[in-house]
Amino acid sequence: MNRSIISAEVLPFLGRFGALVLATLIVDVFLHLLGLAWVGRYLGIPGTLLILLSFFYSMRKRKLIAIGRPKTLLRMHEVFTWLGALMILVHAGIHVYAILPWLALIALLVTVLSGMTGEYLLERGRRHLAAKRAEQAAAGLAPVAVEQEVFWDTVTVDAMKQWRTVHFPITLAFGVLGLAHILSILVFWQWR
Amino acid sequence: MNRQRVFYVVAANLVVLLALVLLYPHLMIAPGHLIKAHAALEHDCFACHTPLLGSRPARCQQCHRPNEIGLVTTKGLPIVDTAKLTPFHQGLVERDCVACHSDHRGVRPYRQIARFSHRLLQGSLLEQCSGCHRAPKNELHQALTGNCGQCHNQQAWTPATFDHDRFFRLDGDHNTTCITCHRGNDYTRYTCYGCHEHSRAGIREKHVEEGIYNFDACVECHRSGDDKEGGHQGRSGKRGEGKDGDADEDEEKEDDD
Repeated sequence: MNRSIISAEVLPFLGRFGALVLATLIVDVFLHLLGLAWVGRYLGIPGTLLILLSFFYSMRKRKLIAIGRPKTLLRMHEVFTWLGALMILVHAGIHVYAILPWLALIALLVTVLSGMTGEYLLERGRRHLAAKRAEQAAAGLAPVAVEQEVFWDTVTVDAMKQWRTVHFPITLAFGVLGLAHILSILVFWQWR
Repeated sequence: MNRQRVFYVVAANLVVLLALVLLYPHLMIAPGHLIKAHAALEHDCFACHTPLLGSRPARCQQCHRPNEIGLVTTKGLPIVDTAKLTPFHQGLVERDCVACHSDHRGVRPYRQIARFSHRLLQGSLLEQCSGCHRAPKNELHQALTGNCGQCHNQQAWTPATFDHDRFFRLDGDHNTTCITCHRGNDYTRYTCYGCHEHSRAGIREKHVEEGIYNFDACVECHRSGDDKEGGHQGRSGKRGEGKDGDADEDEEKEDDD
């Protein structure tokens, strides 16, 4: 247990996030090979709908609705936001023309990252820290010395605990920026 | 970290961003720069866009009058090099500018200007190939006037789609000018008596010797100048048929050398 939380937990966690980026690339290449790149243009719609559906968990947690089991809705929230983020990433593609939709995309990615921190990382980080403390104490170190040994891991876990502080406001930012993007499309789209 | 403080910071940033959208729409929401000719309109989205409807042709026509496109610039100056780009906007079925033209760079993959279709043209213009296409100045086309559709189609003007070998292989002595066998610019009919080698009397003599009495539709049996490749359908006395299936009643059969 000499590895830090960053190498033991954070890097593999980033690998999970990287799976989202890899899935985006695979889907994009697949669509281009089949001559269906135009599908990506419209994937923003189902992607947004999936993310909106995922908010049933948020409403249930705040008792705005009474239907559904929180645990089931939380799992639905995690899956739908991952799939919705995938569709929106494919929709965004790699071309950068307008600033607003890319700000919305960055907000989306920060939201996903902070949410995944709460989902995967925090509990594993806490367990890793507790195990490391126990190991150091078993080796005969005094409590002060133990805290010195696990100082940076403690800082890392404390940072992870703040995931909600990031997740909620950035979700608001994503919502507002995404809505502004959708409104601009509605106003300027070539409907005929 | 104070959650409320973070919330207020994020909210303030959002207000600033939304203000930027209204002040600098060409940076915040436009899907790419406009074409160079429209650079002056970059900051005025509604010069072309009608809210909730899109770019209407009427807006484009305020500067680009359909009767003048390809002939005169928007400033009224005549376009000199019409040989390079043939004006055709005057004959379009429907005036839908954005069907082909996309001003924003990001939209171009979805509206490809290079993809012209003849279906965009009015029916009367479809038959007037020479209205847009100039015949090459070569020997083949010198003698031709019209009838372009016999060799060219509207999916791709070139290459010409006609495969003469399907009817008769042009090799050896038969690799000659079109008018030797096709008279009056009509390629649905032919005559083999257009050159000195074949005379009606000579051909009749050779065929009757063999018991062949149908020697009017030559290509029914002969698909090249090689005698050995001849077929035997002529013995039945069946009347021959031209390229388009019509019975050969050509005046050219009267031509003798």
